[in-house]
Amino acid sequence: MPEPLKIVLFLCNWGPHAAYQALQDRSADIPSEIKMIRIPCSGRISKALLFKPFEMGADGVLLLGCRSGTCRYGTGTSAAEENTADTRRIMALIGLGGERLELATFLPDEPEALLTFLQSFADRIRQMGQSPITRRTRPIAEDTAAGDLPTTPEAIVAAHDVFACQDCGKCTSACSLALAGKSYSPRFMAAEIIAGRADAAAVRNAVNSCLTCGICYERCPSAVNFPEFIKSMRIYYHDREVAAAPAHGGFFQSMMRAMTSPTLAPQRWRQLPDTIRTRSRGPVLFFGGCAPYFDIFFNKFLGVRTHHILEDSLRLLNFFDVEPALLENERCCGHDLLWSGDRDNFLRLARLNAEAIAASGAEELITACPECCHTLEVEYARHGVTLPLKITHMHAFLEREIDKGAVAFKPLEGCATFQDACRQSRFSGQAALPRKLLAPLYGNTPGGLVDAEAPSICCGNSAWIGCDADSKAMQVQRLEKARRSGSTTMITACPKCQIHLRCAMEDVVRAKQLKMELVDLTSLIAKTIHWE
Amino acid sequence: MVKQLMITGFGGQGVVLAGRIVGQAAAIGDALESTFVQSYGPESRGGACSAQVTIADGPIYFPYIKHPDILVCMSQSGYDKYRALLKPDGTLILEQDLVKPVGGQDHFAIPCTRFAEELGNKMMANIIMIGFLAAITEAVSLDAVRATVLSSVPKGTEEKNLKAFERGWDYALATLKGRRNKAAGRIGVVA
Repeated sequence: MPEPLKIVLFLCNWGPHAAYQALQDRSADIPSEIKMIRIPCSGRISKALLFKPFEMGADGVLLLGCRSGTCRYGTGTSAAEENTADTRRIMALIGLGGERLELATFLPDEPEALLTFLQSFADRIRQMGQSPITRRTRPIAEDTAAGDLPTTPEAIVAAHDVFACQDCGKCTSACSLALAGKSYSPRFMAAEIIAGRADAAAVRNAVNSCLTCGICYERCPSAVNFPEFIKSMRIYYHDREVAAAPAHGGFFQSMMRAMTSPTLAPQRWRQLPDTIRTRSRGPVLFFGGCAPYFDIFFNKFLGVRTHHILEDSLRLLNFFDVEPALLENERCCGHDLLWSGDRDNFLRLARLNAEAIAASGAEELITACPECCHTLEVEYARHGVTLPLKITHMHAFLEREIDKGAVAFKPLEGCATFQDACRQSRFSGQAALPRKLLAPLYGNTPGGLVDAEAPSICCGNSAWIGCDADSKAMQVQRLEKARRSGSTTMITACPKCQIHLRCAMEDVVRAKQLKMELVDLTSLIAKTIHWE
Repeated sequence: MVKQLMITGFGGQGVVLAGRIVGQAAAIGDALESTFVQSYGPESRGGACSAQVTIADGPIYFPYIKHPDILVCMSQSGYDKYRALLKPDGTLILEQDLVKPVGGQDHFAIPCTRFAEELGNKMMANIIMIGFLAAITEAVSLDAVRATVLSSVPKGTEEKNLKAFERGWDYALATLKGRRNKAAGRIGVVA
């Protein structure tokens, strides 16, 4: 027998609740699938909260608020409208169907209209049937051979040889967070965990706040791999269910966990422009990444267009006569889940991806995202998931093709600086690669590229966790530094750097001093390259 | 099929070796007929020198070339001296940094000396040029010319020279691809 359908109803305390109560008072025929949750205001139900029920196995979600203009708090209804619209678009893209989520507004004296609405929504969900997201509670550890990973703080400390720490403090003096003014010390954290205080709230918060940018590892004379240590500690906290709440209400983690469902068919390539040539099978596979989801989520504030990076990458591949194949139901690579400690779901994603990639029959996978590239190339293998092809970053592909010659670049005006992607420059040791690509773009104008010799500091966040006032301070510092150097453009290499730095530019007080053009390196090359 | 190829340049650029490799590749690797005439003497101390290679699928009765089908110029003086001899529909290949062409003449160009310096030794400019001209003109097959390069260069430098050869070959393919795309109206990524 199929499981009964579940519809979660978020019901605003004010207008619609009165109508709902009237229905309850007269035992009206409210569909039995509907589980009601009373909330103070529909505007407070964020995108993360709207999506969370689906991750947990709901088949439909309703958000009922007050009729526009009657909101007790003024802006609740409009906030709910925006949140619902964005979440529906993401749900459509992820293959869940936007129709499973609905926002409606009612006045207290409209119980009849409310009842009709509830019944018609329940009918719609019955027609659509069970949600393709299946909730699994069984931990993956039971069916995996990777049980030899350290699970206690002592074992984690030993595995990463944190004992080698000499307490010299070079990590703290280089730490992006400490430099931004946060009272933060990697070596102190290491000492506390060694001393057996891993479960103290302060230590847990510190592990959560780490940006995992890798600068401390670069500086450490004992080569303690601090980011890897943090990653293991986060897995430890996550397994004990004491991990800190992620940023953005955990929306992205929720979404990525939802993607571990094999029956879900994400459709992120749906809106590709016609001018881009792709094929269903071929030796080259392009792996996009999560940019299309980010763009919808952040469109209200930041106006980010990170999916243009993917389109420009595809156009560049076309430019060099490569027609890449795409994974029809491409899923997230799992980077953010792994780095927020959810190793089980990372592994589920990794296995689904590995299966799809192997079935594609491609020989080379190209991706423009440094996180996808590092995760597919290094982390998958580390966690026992092997991919049968070569992983190439878009920059490496471009270097290879540009090196062959016969191309030139339109000269660029103004002066620019470069923001390194931590997963590319430090984790994969490829800091020279983007700089090599940048050289011909700005090489002929003296002073075209400034303050870009050494890898820059972190963009302020990683894996959608631990965003706070200090990471914002850091982003502000980064942009101020760029402005002081006279740059009008900042060139980035990761969609997340774009999002985080754009967010800092939204600062209401400092906006004028921070605004500068942000452009991705791949897009910049796409804009200027031409055949000689 | 008769193809007449003339390579010109300064003495010391490896022009004569380049000619010998192309001719040998055609004769031994591709089982065609080929002849090879080299002009050296005072030229090998610097100044314009040339190598003349004729490739044919039948007997070659006269090895000297008056009007080449393919003219490769690795120096300005070689270009100035020989460019008028090229057949009207012939292929002109230039060393991009060393030869300034007189406007209007369609040609292929490769900065092979710069590439050779990037690869660590400018003596390999001729090998890069061989890769380039082989891919552009298809006068000899890839396998034949690669094998001949390997057997003609000093022992111990095979790997470097192979890299140089492939640099020229890849550059030629990129050039041809660029011309093809340009002709189809695909000049840039966005245009």
